[in-house]
Amino acid sequence: MFSYPLVNVLGACLIITSMMVVLARTGRAAAFLYSFQSLMLVGVLASLGFVTGSTELFTWSATAFVTKVVLVPAILLFTLKKIGKDAQADLPPKLNPMKSVALVAVEVFVCFVAVSSIDLPTALEVKPTLAVSLAHFFIGLTCIVIQRSIFRQIFGYCLMENGSHVTLALLAPQAPELVEIGVATDAIFAVVILAVLVWRMAHYAHTLDADDLCELKG
Amino acid sequence: MDYSTILLILLGCPVLAALLIAVLPSKSTPRAAYEAIHVIALIAVAVAGLTLSVSAFMGNDIFAVGEWFHLDGLSALFLCLIAVIAPCTGIYSLPYVAHDVADGKLGPSQVKQYYAFFSLFVFSMILAVTSNNIIMMWVSVEATTLSTVFLVGVYRTKLALEAAWKYVIVCTAGVAFGLFGTLLIYANAADIMADPHQAVFWTAILPNAPFMDHSLTMIAFVFAAIGFGTKAGLFPMHTWLPDAHSEAPSPVSALLSGVLLKCAILIVLRFFILAAANVGDSFPQTVMMILGVLSVCYAAFEVYKQNDLKRKLAYSSCENIGLIAVCFGIGGPLGIIAGLVHCVAHGLTKALMFCLSGNVMMKYHTRDLSKISGLISVAPVTGVLFAAGCLALAGFPPFAMFVSEMFMILAGVAAQVWWAVVLVLIALVVVIMALVRMITGSALGRAPEDVKRGDVPVLALIPEVVLLVLVLVLGVALPGPLAGSIENATAIVLSYEDENLANDSLFEDALAALAVVEVPEGVFE
Repeated sequence: MFSYPLVNVLGACLIITSMMVVLARTGRAAAFLYSFQSLMLVGVLASLGFVTGSTELFTWSATAFVTKVVLVPAILLFTLKKIGKDAQADLPPKLNPMKSVALVAVEVFVCFVAVSSIDLPTALEVKPTLAVSLAHFFIGLTCIVIQRSIFRQIFGYCLMENGSHVTLALLAPQAPELVEIGVATDAIFAVVILAVLVWRMAHYAHTLDADDLCELKG
Repeated sequence: MDYSTILLILLGCPVLAALLIAVLPSKSTPRAAYEAIHVIALIAVAVAGLTLSVSAFMGNDIFAVGEWFHLDGLSALFLCLIAVIAPCTGIYSLPYVAHDVADGKLGPSQVKQYYAFFSLFVFSMILAVTSNNIIMMWVSVEATTLSTVFLVGVYRTKLALEAAWKYVIVCTAGVAFGLFGTLLIYANAADIMADPHQAVFWTAILPNAPFMDHSLTMIAFVFAAIGFGTKAGLFPMHTWLPDAHSEAPSPVSALLSGVLLKCAILIVLRFFILAAANVGDSFPQTVMMILGVLSVCYAAFEVYKQNDLKRKLAYSSCENIGLIAVCFGIGGPLGIIAGLVHCVAHGLTKALMFCLSGNVMMKYHTRDLSKISGLISVAPVTGVLFAAGCLALAGFPPFAMFVSEMFMILAGVAAQVWWAVVLVLIALVVVIMALVRMITGSALGRAPEDVKRGDVPVLALIPEVVLLVLVLVLGVALPGPLAGSIENATAIVLSYEDENLANDSLFEDALAALAVVEVPEGVFE
């Protein structure tokens, strides 16, 4: 049941779910979809653990479940509740959905081309997932750039971080657990700090619109 | 007490201070309590940091917690910078924060937040320069962002929060590229090393670097240069820098510009060494040269254009980081020496200038240069320091940046990269014009009637005098131990070239190389 094709199928699911996070209409929906996409990530880590026999990956999948499936969405939903309905957390993105999908498709294609030249024994069987993880990283970056709501930009960072996490698992399944804990803890701190800053922005500046935050130009 | 223990004490003191300040109740704790903890921690950082640096300068390789932390000649140079600038800006913070409290800009909770995050910031920078674990290096660079974001936004105004948001989002996204580069290096090394667990340690990867996959190493270096270059403020990833530096309290701007940017440069250098050992030095040098020249040329004109004192200084930081990248792009012993000396010289000079911008704001309550004039008659000591600081930043002799910039030009001439030398010289002339205009417009001129005469508190002036003396001393002559340490650090950067390790004096070799360079006829005609 657990084989490299399964890892690659789950990798493809990561791209679809991350697209759903980017295109979600509300911040609340994006938080739930992010939780779902993190569940896919947990699946990738666990199936990789079975395939490679790396016990570290099972620990990683457990910590990813706690931090990404539960904690991060909970922090973001709590922030949404704190800032209330008046803040513009659900502003539509700068790019319409069709253009966003086209942009992501180009990114995925470029990442597949870039990964095809990599000649690393550990990556031979999982090249499609490696390309997906790299694309995931750029989808996160796209999310930051195209979102008008700074609350929704947090999801961009989370997607970038998920991409790095998958790459770490694919290329370095034997990495010490402390390394993974360091990366995961850092991500949690980053999300907490971004959430606090969003709350402060809503509280003191009364806006979450990135277009309003352009006074410091030049 | 052995050096490993001192290294752990060095790491422990600021984090302990931050925790202690964090647990104290903000409403009932007097400001003096925070200040006492803050000063004690900084004294410990200065003593332990300088002790360890001197030991590393004498050739000791210090490890702690197995191989997780490592201090060699290269990192010791940057630790030395932290051990000098952090206490100076920390002491300067005392009168600065007191002034902001008196002005009603900071409340009790913000004061507590300021001192707690200041200590955490110092800790994260020490972690960045002493980490031997490459993943921990990334974590520490990310930690510097997370620990400073509330310092940048401490005033809680819309502009401060806007700067903090741009800072955190650009740097976390940028540094994520650094993580990708780090992971590629790790995976590459783990594939060829007998014990994959050793592939996280920089000192273990270096001897194996020549055997890693070339294309993967090149991709990893580009990712690292973009990622950590974002944190260093290299063009075009510099967008956070002018906003964060201008909106942060002045002592924080001083620490950001004087030390943090250099810590990021150190991490880039670590990847530069690995890439040079793997694919030769021309590829990483080209990347650094392109980023450096673009940064210098873009930022020089921005320095001239700006009318906001702190934004002008911020763009000057971007320009000087570009100069450091150009030095590493030129390469060779003289280029590397020039880059390292410029790290030290610019770190001290810019810390001085940002502290002085704090004095100016305390007196004039504005950063608008069109409203700042007659500083020498309003606050004589500040005025003289300000004029001297501007000259130092412009690279005039006898200040330290003159030495490093001269080294850079000589290195460029020796390497015959004429196009880069010409572009950098044009940019430097523009910067000199901007800074001389600042002296004539702000330090000299007629003082406005509504500005109260008299200097800032002595406690604010002492760190500035110390910084100016250091800038002056380094400009007159590099003290023996520091020159030795720069040679030592240069040898580490050039460790991929075996023949350099055997040399006794890289300074002499570098200058000898310059002497034998044949300048093509007609170049100066």
